[in-house]
Amino acid sequence: MAKQVLNFTVNDEPAEVLVQPWDTLLDALRERMGLTGPKEGCGTGDCGACTVHVDEKPVASCLLLAMQARGHSVRTIEGLGKPGALHPLQDAFVRHGVPQCGFCIPGVIMAAAALLAENPHPTEEEIRYGIAGNLCRCTGYTKMLAAITEAAGAPVGRRS
Amino acid sequence: MSTVMKTTRDVKGIGLSIPRPDGPDKVTGQVQYVADLNPRGLLHAKLLRSPHAHAKIVRIDVSRARALPGVRAVLTAADIPVLKKKAPTRAHAVLAIDRVVFAGQPVAAVAADEPAIAEEALDLIDVQYEVLPVAADPLESMKPGAPPVAELGTEADTSEAQAHGSVAGVTTEVKSSKAVNISQQARLQRGDVAKAFAESDVVIENTYRVPMVHQGYLEPHAVLAQWDTAGNLTLWASTQGSFNTRSEVADVLELPENRIKVIPMECGGGFGGKIRALCEPITAVLARATNRPVRYVMTRREELEAGMPAPQVIIKLKTGVKRDGTLMALEAEAILESGAFSGAVLAVAGVFLASLYLWPHFDVKGFEVLTHKPSIAAYRAPVAPQTIFAIDSQMEQIARKLGVDPVEFRLRHLQREGDKMANNQPWLSNGGVEVLTRLAEHPFWKKRAEWKASAKDGKLRGTGLSLGGWLGGLQPTGATVRLNPDGTLQVLTGQVDIAGTNIALAQIAATAYGVDIDKVKITTGDTDVAPLTGLSAGSKTTYTVGVAVMQAAQNARNQTLEIAAKELEASVHDLEIDGDRVVVRGVPDKGVTLASIGKKGNLYMSKVEPVLGASHPAFSVQAPAFCGQLARIEVDPDTGEVTLHNFVVVQDVGKAINPAQIEGQMQGGAVQSLGMALTEALMYDDKARLTNPSLLDYRKLTAADLPNIETIIVEKPAPHGPFGARGVGEPPIVPAPAAIANAIEDATGVRLTHLPLSPERIALAIASAS
Repeated sequence: MAKQVLNFTVNDEPAEVLVQPWDTLLDALRERMGLTGPKEGCGTGDCGACTVHVDEKPVASCLLLAMQARGHSVRTIEGLGKPGALHPLQDAFVRHGVPQCGFCIPGVIMAAAALLAENPHPTEEEIRYGIAGNLCRCTGYTKMLAAITEAAGAPVGRRS
Repeated sequence: MSTVMKTTRDVKGIGLSIPRPDGPDKVTGQVQYVADLNPRGLLHAKLLRSPHAHAKIVRIDVSRARALPGVRAVLTAADIPVLKKKAPTRAHAVLAIDRVVFAGQPVAAVAADEPAIAEEALDLIDVQYEVLPVAADPLESMKPGAPPVAELGTEADTSEAQAHGSVAGVTTEVKSSKAVNISQQARLQRGDVAKAFAESDVVIENTYRVPMVHQGYLEPHAVLAQWDTAGNLTLWASTQGSFNTRSEVADVLELPENRIKVIPMECGGGFGGKIRALCEPITAVLARATNRPVRYVMTRREELEAGMPAPQVIIKLKTGVKRDGTLMALEAEAILESGAFSGAVLAVAGVFLASLYLWPHFDVKGFEVLTHKPSIAAYRAPVAPQTIFAIDSQMEQIARKLGVDPVEFRLRHLQREGDKMANNQPWLSNGGVEVLTRLAEHPFWKKRAEWKASAKDGKLRGTGLSLGGWLGGLQPTGATVRLNPDGTLQVLTGQVDIAGTNIALAQIAATAYGVDIDKVKITTGDTDVAPLTGLSAGSKTTYTVGVAVMQAAQNARNQTLEIAAKELEASVHDLEIDGDRVVVRGVPDKGVTLASIGKKGNLYMSKVEPVLGASHPAFSVQAPAFCGQLARIEVDPDTGEVTLHNFVVVQDVGKAINPAQIEGQMQGGAVQSLGMALTEALMYDDKARLTNPSLLDYRKLTAADLPNIETIIVEKPAPHGPFGARGVGEPPIVPAPAAIANAIEDATGVRLTHLPLSPERIALAIASAS
């Protein structure tokens, strides 16, 4: 099978890239475009490490074929904020000391950013369900909750 | 260890929750893991794995795979002359030679231009197997006549136990018997057990079972290998110990160690599972065969089917006590299912069972048993959660049966500093009593009766706690501290940072030298440039590398002061470091900047020696660290569902170098412990094939399953730790299984002894009790 041309918007810039018909969106971003912020932790949509935004909705990019993104707008962690100009979520994650190994973090932040875009003042339970699709093995999620709550501008929630 | 620094003022260093310097790179996706590397000419590796747990390989035909366009190499064991039968470890068993011994064992390897081409090539390899009988259950496998796993004469592997350096004085031996799958045995005895049981009033006997579980790191195993024209190999690795990876790969491939450079990339979680080499040797062989850089990244399914999980542990435990609560006798048989290759930390299990509480008479037998499953490795405090689950569950039941306060009962019998452990080593200074006491002061423990009484709508409520810990590992290490020409400090170690240790080490360097943390940069060097160091495992990085960094920084400080003394014509003893200057005490105008000292160490024709502090210590004194955990739960007796309402972690860390990083360790460890308690199990069918090889079916806890994890840090200084610090990483994974089982009994009256404490098990136990 011949490679196909994928035209879409990535991190607010128009992009054109050659992909294999079987490439996932994650493959296209990581292997064809060098955007390695999204991670592959399972390849089956169970861990959330590959979460990106497609038209501002959180998507497991390992479950979408690359060509399905044609004409759509994709945002990766690289398009959220940069060192020196961090997104409020990224800034809160650093200050709260959330990242340990860091592998899940891009996916968690993209899931949290999508949550806050839709629901700027979520309850603790809404935050927990908002990132329930993202597995983290290092942190136990507690500091994530504090960081997301703070970034949402709400007072830090229940601390048991 | 001297920890008193003479500085004019407090420096910004230890004791502060300073964010990790790699935080901004991690939250923006800039940090590079192995799978993010994409050098020119990169090839992708895939492994063909056996679908059978035990089979003879009759024939392998790779011709069709080799003919596929885009395929650059297809290798079987026959193509790798260094491979030998009787491989002692998984790393040595690069590809199966003539027999496969677990489902998922690699039998052929492919390197191709694209991952999809490599996968297609796997489908074109034709392997003819003759399926053999399988040893799937350790209790059956340890009997005479079971299907043999290892080749006759294969050596037992005890290097993991040595690497963790946790227990001495226990001899494990390999006994030749008709039970061919018993690869190690250990026995610890004291007193007269039979007589002591005869004199006991309350005898309790249980069998505890903890299944194989996976470490669960989010980043699957990955490695990139490349050779240069002179025959030097570079490995970009996801490892917990780059020097260990180098040694293992050198041993397997019969290369001199200085021909291999291991560059440790950011490690996306290890928890013990990335100590041993796994896919590095085959990737190196593929790179040599193709003269191209080759990257291999395991899939999650491969991780679950053919990673190196924690052993299944089965403990038959019998205890006897007097009616007044006097401990009399403990008898235990611990069976560690090691999978297809030896390597379990058998001695640790025995020591934990009989050493936490003071049993005057005990007899502990340990068996490492091989089965046709993937071989095991360490998982954060290897075998401690499993053994503490048994012994702490037992202590709770005894206390309940005697009608005494379970905390007082534990405190009465908890071994103290100087008491003899089961291997006759004395217990060293530790905070076991302080941790348990602090936990019992928590309002959730004091108000457990109110919590139980508050249950409504047919639900049941309970509270449980448990105490566990880790003895603390040791391993020689080294560090250098250099003064740069601009007055900043450069710290170099070879230690892989898997737990936020680099910021703690930088804080130690800052404090020991006498400058603020923002003047310090720390680097983890590769094996060509960094001082030799050990594994990031055994809760020993801060405890041991911290000492090396502290001493190297003190050494650099002394050199700095000597240079300044000459310059200022003053005695070294009258000097101190104040900000970015060395000054004469009491004469603040008389001083010289650190930058000028650093610059003179690097000037053409200068006679001033550059400041290079170094330390390369070895250690002999461990620092045990204890953790107590408390769970407040609600149980639905109809469904068996457990809702965790509150969870408290109390831990003795000696001295909190960076409290925020420590809290993160405590919270993350606790949630792994809760996963082991509540949901996690690798499940095998009777042919030893994994039935849940995905993260949908291997259920890890999510944010929605959990409350916030409350952390309470206790500081009982470790006499030999840097600034009193103890190891932090492992203790928090230990107590939750027993804490939850104790809470379930408090809520429902039923005692569960098999993990995970799943809704099905709980509901069935409640139904059969009523």
